Amino acid sequence: MKGTELVLKALVDNGVTYVFGYTGGAIMPIFDEMEKQKVFTFVMSRHEQGAAFMAQGISRASLSTAKPMVGVCMATSGPGAMNLVTGIADALMDSVPILAITGQVASTVIATDAFQESDVVGVMMPLTKQCYMPLSVEEIEETIHEAFYISKTGRGGPVVIDIPKDIQIQTTAQTYQFNAAKYEPDLHGFKYSPEPDSTLIKKAVAMINKSECPIILCGHGVVASNAGRNLKAFAEKAHVPIGFTLHGLSAIPVDHPLSLGMVGMHGSVEANRALQHTDLMISFGMRFDDRVTGDLKQFGVDVDVIHVEIDPSEINKNVKTSIAINADANRVLKLLAKDPEINTKPRRLWFEQLDVYRGEIFEEVQKEIEKGVGQEGQLLMKTIVKRLSDVTEGKDLIVSDVGQHQMILARFYNFQTTNSWFNSGGAGTMGCALPMSVGVKLARPEERVWAVCGDGGFQMNIQELGSIMEHEIDVKILLLNNGYLGMVRQWQTMFYSGRFAGTPLKNPNFGAIAGAYSIPYQRVETPDQIMAALETAAAHQGAYMVEFLCDPSEIVLPMVPAGGSIADMIVSLNQE
Amino acid sequence: MTTITSRKRRAIMVYVADRPGVLNKISMLIRRKMYNVESITACAARQSGYSRISLTLHEDNNDNLQQVILQIEKMTEVISARELDINESFWREVALVKFEASQIQFEQFNKKYSFETLDQQNHGVHIVQLAGISKMIDDFLLDLGDDKIIEVARSGFTALDR
Repeated sequence: MKGTELVLKALVDNGVTYVFGYTGGAIMPIFDEMEKQKVFTFVMSRHEQGAAFMAQGISRASLSTAKPMVGVCMATSGPGAMNLVTGIADALMDSVPILAITGQVASTVIATDAFQESDVVGVMMPLTKQCYMPLSVEEIEETIHEAFYISKTGRGGPVVIDIPKDIQIQTTAQTYQFNAAKYEPDLHGFKYSPEPDSTLIKKAVAMINKSECPIILCGHGVVASNAGRNLKAFAEKAHVPIGFTLHGLSAIPVDHPLSLGMVGMHGSVEANRALQHTDLMISFGMRFDDRVTGDLKQFGVDVDVIHVEIDPSEINKNVKTSIAINADANRVLKLLAKDPEINTKPRRLWFEQLDVYRGEIFEEVQKEIEKGVGQEGQLLMKTIVKRLSDVTEGKDLIVSDVGQHQMILARFYNFQTTNSWFNSGGAGTMGCALPMSVGVKLARPEERVWAVCGDGGFQMNIQELGSIMEHEIDVKILLLNNGYLGMVRQWQTMFYSGRFAGTPLKNPNFGAIAGAYSIPYQRVETPDQIMAALETAAAHQGAYMVEFLCDPSEIVLPMVPAGGSIADMIVSLNQE
Repeated sequence: MTTITSRKRRAIMVYVADRPGVLNKISMLIRRKMYNVESITACAARQSGYSRISLTLHEDNNDNLQQVILQIEKMTEVISARELDINESFWREVALVKFEASQIQFEQFNKKYSFETLDQQNHGVHIVQLAGISKMIDDFLLDLGDDKIIEVARSGFTALDR
């Protein structure tokens, strides 16, 4: 068989059905073989970065389904591969398994500055979980199987395979008999320890029972290991409130009585106050990111920390742990949820205190939402998000771009469906939403998908409207247009004396752009138009775009200033 | 930030699968963690297909060092990584030194440092090999003085624990 045929065979063996990508000189043989065999649905992105985010969408959305998939993207050598970099770095930061296959110039001319040559392995090395360059056709199949295994086993992450063009077209008589159920690569150095140590579980239970004001921190690992059900059971049994990291949201319905909403820089008052006053953090599948902790010196001082985490290098990295459990979050939660030794403590004082925190800015925020417009008389994002929540009943899948609208979605969207919240967290890559929503829709075709973007991020990958049009991807695009890079503007307002350096945007006619891609479009300027527009978009078969004219003065609050401690949280501008 | 040299020298020993790019990956990680690698040596391990890397850097804080070790260990190619206890291990290096000295001076140095002579040319140019603890090599170079030294090649540390 030829190298290209082996590539396709290995991808098929690993259950690949969608391939995203962009062709070019050094990847042509593989694309040619795909065209011959037609074993995948190929989605052409309009820029390689789009393909990487589409692949992410597949991986992120499918992990909670009966058939989890690893998204696959392909690009040519040189500029093609370099355009993938941002999407791959993003996948590493958010622990998303994806496989990128790049064409490389022929092995005979590598390192001679050949046309469209760049050192892909050299560039990708620190941005991937693993990267490969097979140098003989015989290596191709096993490399791909190993790549899938590494990508999805344990903490997920991107893997890159850079295949020189001459290797793609070599032939071999040797093929590999792949057995998905039995496959385990010969990787002596790959560490994966999903099973928790039972003595540590015992210690943890004793610590939880002793605690008067504990908090559970639900991270991405809970979603990634499909542990929502067990988390809920454990939290209810132990009677412990739950704070979510950005990617921990949608692990369980966010209006659960024990839920405090999101923690961290733009977390809820109640979640952050709880973090401030807790005596025990029970954290699952999270890494104490600086957006969660604020100033580490003032975070969790004299507080016990139980840290359940699959990646041992995350334990004790930022926060000193009392009990470190290096294991799969779901397996630990399953044990905890069933552990007869766990007491159901009322913790009356703690919950009374939490109710006080809950009420701190509740009415003020409700009033703003009802009013629906900001200081400049234009729409408030929180009102739009609240109405979106009403229209979808919190059930639809939400893909968000990066910025104010993302934080407002995290704060105000009523997540009901398990694993229904997709966005770039660790890397904070603007422009992720449009392409990611394509992957999400393909992975979960029966569910409604909303891509929520700001006017800045939307234009960063606006070309992917082409893919949406071509492949008739049914995503509802909500463009929250305030004419600024809102989050940076917010910082400029608060910390840079209101000098708006590089944040105002002179925007195009978005309606005309939607029209050019044959996507029906509506523009919303007043609060009373919001519901109807959202309902129309929801009912429409196929892609639909609604542009909202948003108030540039809206500030996402609460806010823990960067580098500050949770105690420095700014709750309301009125009190300044 | 304190100067690099004022911090304690620490040694990390790593067993890796002998795959291309591993050394690169490890040194990239250490750069990213903002350390200056003082020395790094690699050789084939006794078991074929594996290599043994020993490296030294300067760090006082145990948690920070542990973090580096865990992140090294996270690499797929890395079988194990651990700190070598300075007091429980042997650290040696090799130096090749080219210097100019009279025959009398040469004999004196040889008596004191018992090096191996690799080459002796006319005009009193000598190439010798010293192997031992770094301090011995440092002492020799100091003794020799900059005016006599033509060139020095040092291997960097290699280490073995008890």
